[in-house]
Amino acid sequence: MTDPAISVQGVSKRFTKHTEKRNSLKERLVKGRGKSEGNFWALRDVSFDVPRGTTFGLIGHNGSGKSTMLKLLAGVHRPTSGSIITDGRVSALLELGAGFHGELTGRENIYLNASILGMSRKQIDASIDQIIDFAGIDEFIDTPVKVYSSGMYVRLGFSIAVTVEPEILIVDEIIAVGDEEFQRKCFDRLYQLRRKGTTIVLVTHALGLVQDLCDTAVWLDHGRVKAIGDSRDVVQGYMDAVNTKEAAARAEEVQQEPETSGGHARLGSGEVRVDKVEYLDSSNRPATVVLAGEAATFRLHYTAQEPMEEVVFGLGFVHESGHTVAGPNSGANGQHVPRIRTQGHVDFAVPGLTLQPGNYQVSVAAVSKGHVYDYVDRAYDLMVRGSTTEPGLTRMFGSWTYDGSRSSVQPLTEVDYA
Amino acid sequence: MTVRQQGSLWDYRSLIWNFAQRDLKARFKGTALGWAWSLVVPLASLVIYTIVFSTIFRGKPPDFGSGRAGNFTVWLLAGLVPWGIFANNLNGSIGVLLGAGPLLKKIYFPSYAPVFGAIIATVIQSAIELGILLVVLLALGNVSWTWVLVPVWLLVFTVFVASVSLMLAVLNVYFRDLAHIIGVAIQLGFYTSPIIYQITLIPEQAHGLPLRRIIELNPMTQFIELFRDLTYGLTPGPALSWVGLFVVTGLAAGLATLVYRSRGLDLSEEL
Repeated sequence: MTDPAISVQGVSKRFTKHTEKRNSLKERLVKGRGKSEGNFWALRDVSFDVPRGTTFGLIGHNGSGKSTMLKLLAGVHRPTSGSIITDGRVSALLELGAGFHGELTGRENIYLNASILGMSRKQIDASIDQIIDFAGIDEFIDTPVKVYSSGMYVRLGFSIAVTVEPEILIVDEIIAVGDEEFQRKCFDRLYQLRRKGTTIVLVTHALGLVQDLCDTAVWLDHGRVKAIGDSRDVVQGYMDAVNTKEAAARAEEVQQEPETSGGHARLGSGEVRVDKVEYLDSSNRPATVVLAGEAATFRLHYTAQEPMEEVVFGLGFVHESGHTVAGPNSGANGQHVPRIRTQGHVDFAVPGLTLQPGNYQVSVAAVSKGHVYDYVDRAYDLMVRGSTTEPGLTRMFGSWTYDGSRSSVQPLTEVDYA
Repeated sequence: MTVRQQGSLWDYRSLIWNFAQRDLKARFKGTALGWAWSLVVPLASLVIYTIVFSTIFRGKPPDFGSGRAGNFTVWLLAGLVPWGIFANNLNGSIGVLLGAGPLLKKIYFPSYAPVFGAIIATVIQSAIELGILLVVLLALGNVSWTWVLVPVWLLVFTVFVASVSLMLAVLNVYFRDLAHIIGVAIQLGFYTSPIIYQITLIPEQAHGLPLRRIIELNPMTQFIELFRDLTYGLTPGPALSWVGLFVVTGLAAGLATLVYRSRGLDLSEEL
């Protein structure tokens, strides 16, 4: 591998926690230097290399030090210790249109902003038409930017930053700006820069984007490197951690009990009642969150006034968008329905959950030959978590064949659906 | 190469110039009189000071270098021009870094760039007053080879003003009362510099203090006196003054560099 475009070696960054800001001289004189003993390490001993021409992602939860890292890469802050070596011109997109002056026209602002980004006047002269054209605001280019809509503002900012022909481009969460058409233009431009060999560093919470766009990624956690490597693996690891954490948090919150969403009337004659639905994970432990693609069991606890024959239990899975995704019941396909006791449970086990990650509600029913004993519409909340990035409400399993030869892509789960 | 490329001042000339242009363009945008304001304000104060100090207090100007009897208004203008450059720059640049805060927090560029940009803008604006003074003097036939030294004087003076301004602008980020203190200090400076009076009017001793000596040691006194010598009195000025000003300017520039290096590189965290 050639030498990296960016090399971060043992970088730490300490911020001073100003419990009380002492920015006035009087306060300094009267109260001393301020209670600035509290130091906060935003980054601790972070090292990574970004190979030339690759796209690199920075992920992590809020407060993990991503933005600080980005600011260090852009040179806005200096590291407290360690070194950052960059090879090539850095163009940072930390905030679009940050340097615009409202009273100046779009054209005048292009000159100012591009020179801040390190372009010479000649270079700006040469590319100003391209900038205006890309931003798509030719009509307003000679009016002061204070009358611009926020979309125009941001478009002009992005346009300047990517036209600078950076060797290293640092992008912070800015993709989600402008209308659909402009967003596509932005992506096209990013892909184009990537093809041209621009090294791109991207910070975003859009993990799908990191997987698609980035070659490698680093996962920062409380200022330290948690994982580094192939972007898919890193994102996967991060998502798993987030899912586990959320499940744990929810478990605490609801004390191991799926919530009934009140407000939905209970129907039926009442000889049999479904009292509770429990979610079990692949190892049959109670879970508050179920994982897409994993084995799961839905356990319905019931009480009946007397032992009864031919009671069929049913579940309804309703996505938050309102679509009923599935409605399995114990009497379907001529299955044998045993006699039930006065109290017990019925399990519905799936070998691999085909629901896509999202928020669902579960309806429950107990019926017999068209007679409804019990029915509660959308009685329980169900959170399905996972890291698939396919669109849709359910996962469709299958295999792809290229020109007649079996591709190497297999269904992700080992479950046999045949 | 580190992220913050170690560019020299010269490498950033285009950025500094762009900041200067921004300031010049933005300053009078949206006003009816536009650029005329950069004349109206100093001329108005010229009229006020002339009335107060010549008519009411009966201040007497020295004769022109050409031998013609002195004119208070012209003489006063020759003092107000350098003072205006000094005061406008200090007032104008002390808040520049706070104003550039949103930018400095998002992207790296040397923090002196917007300060120097503001200074260039103010000096260009002041050049109009200077031009008017020279035109008036020319019309009065008060001109000599000493005018050749005016650009040299202006260069040294600009470096001096830029050094002081940069220091104050950087420190103002840390101690924000500085802006208010400077407001008062500039007023005090106006009366402790020989602008509206001749330095010979100051008693050698007052209240046991060597008052005239103190005022002479004020660098602004020297800059103003020297400028008047060159333009109004048509003498090259005392060599000692020149040497003194070069030394003072060198010291100011050195001090500004120290302040900038120790305090001016991490402003993004304080803004």
